[in-house]
Amino acid sequence: MAFLSIQNVSKSFRTDDVETEVLTPLSLDIGRGELVTFLGPSGCGKTTLMRMVGGLESIEAGQITLDGKALGPPDRRRGMVFQSYAAFPWLTVRGNIAFGLKYRTDLPNAEKTAITDRYLDMVGLAGFADQYTNRISGGMRQRVAIARTLASDPDVLLMDEPFGALDALTREHLQQQLLRINAAEQKTTIFVTHDVEEAILLAHRVVIFSARPAQILSVVDVGARLGTQRDEALRQSAAFQSLRNEIQDTIRIEYARAREAEEAHAV
Amino acid sequence: MRLLVFRTGLPRRTELILGLAGLFAFLGAWHLTAISGLIKPQFLPTPWAVVEAFGRLFIERNFAGDIAISIGRVWAAFTLSVVIALPLGLMMSSYRAVGAALEPFVDFVRYLPVPALVPLLIIWFGVGEASKIAVLWMGTFFQLLLLVSDDTKRVPGEYVESGFTLGASQWQIMRDIIMPAALPNIVDNLRITLGWCWTYLIIAEIVAASSGVGHVIWSLRRFVKTPEVMAGIVAIGIVGLLTDQAFRYAHRRWFRYQRR
Repeated sequence: MAFLSIQNVSKSFRTDDVETEVLTPLSLDIGRGELVTFLGPSGCGKTTLMRMVGGLESIEAGQITLDGKALGPPDRRRGMVFQSYAAFPWLTVRGNIAFGLKYRTDLPNAEKTAITDRYLDMVGLAGFADQYTNRISGGMRQRVAIARTLASDPDVLLMDEPFGALDALTREHLQQQLLRINAAEQKTTIFVTHDVEEAILLAHRVVIFSARPAQILSVVDVGARLGTQRDEALRQSAAFQSLRNEIQDTIRIEYARAREAEEAHAV
Repeated sequence: MRLLVFRTGLPRRTELILGLAGLFAFLGAWHLTAISGLIKPQFLPTPWAVVEAFGRLFIERNFAGDIAISIGRVWAAFTLSVVIALPLGLMMSSYRAVGAALEPFVDFVRYLPVPALVPLLIIWFGVGEASKIAVLWMGTFFQLLLLVSDDTKRVPGEYVESGFTLGASQWQIMRDIIMPAALPNIVDNLRITLGWCWTYLIIAEIVAASSGVGHVIWSLRRFVKTPEVMAGIVAIGIVGLLTDQAFRYAHRRWFRYQRR
């Protein structure tokens, strides 16, 4: 069985006696160390699915297993990075990164310090260790959140449009940094985005979602198409561009279909 | 230099000068009205007469002792409010059941005018210290409870969810995330609530007390010692201003990280 396995999971929300289907039953297997991006229109339900993996939304139908065991409430095994930089303002950069470690009774203090230092270095914030997080930029704050999550050594890293609020240059920089970190850490990662290039650049596989209620339109094996070597130069290559156009067309057709269905419904 | 610039700050020095100018304009207008003879001195003494009365209060009537007693009452009742409202308010926002059970009752009590409760509280607690502290407590506790509940409820969901995925338990999230995240707003609300305490204190001390600022002001009224009455009011203002400044200073020091 796959490391992370989503089996026939569906979801609907009830508001004022109206049942809205968010996810149609869908299944997906993610291997250990794999980085999968969820790509789809805003509000389609891809974030909901990721939050279900994180234990932050209840699973009413189907099941999600991690290493063969069904998932329950949120815990340290599934680390989450949010779009709004959730770095804690009352702690320094170092305090933030060490936050999860203070609940670890299985580690001696010296090791906790070593881990904190390692991730401070990894995200390039060693020089800002004692700064409070509202005195550093948004990009740096998001690096703090990533380092904080990695420091508590999760089995799965969940990222909810983490670079969505950043300017283009900072986003590019953080994408490169994430690729480097991922090469070093080999973390199983789900990365939610609506940016097609970002989805391709970072992923081993891109999972394309339909409009709400979400189903999986297609899964693109980026590794097979572009190889595993990723850098900024790849973005300019013909193979990358043609893959981008292909995916963009898929999404464009889906958008048109969803809009038509919506208008037909309205009439 | 232009002073009236729409929604724009001014140099600190200018602000200080304007503040003093406003104060002196008020004192000047008061002085001129008092010496004009339009109003009798027993109704409106001059500002200087109030300053002299202020001195007499301290030298002849041991007013400092009364102020100390009043401050003691305020802080005793306020501390009692805070130590119960902090954990209970946190519980109300953390567990919907606690919130749902308490909110209707708290909202009801919150709207009861505190002066109307004074007779009842005197029947219950007598005319000693207990009834005064009860009045102040009734006036602040229920307000504070809802304020703490709101402040803790407003802590971003992402902070709490980050806590769970970093391995913290519910209790650890309350202690290490919700409390520190809400504390700057809570301290601000404590500052405001403490101000209300003084209002209720004067009511409690006027109705039934043999000491305290409110009692002194009320007993001087009987002899129409208007300057002394006004001096007593000014004293409350000064104590309030000093407390407020102390809170603001502490806020700046404790929550230094909020400064950019």
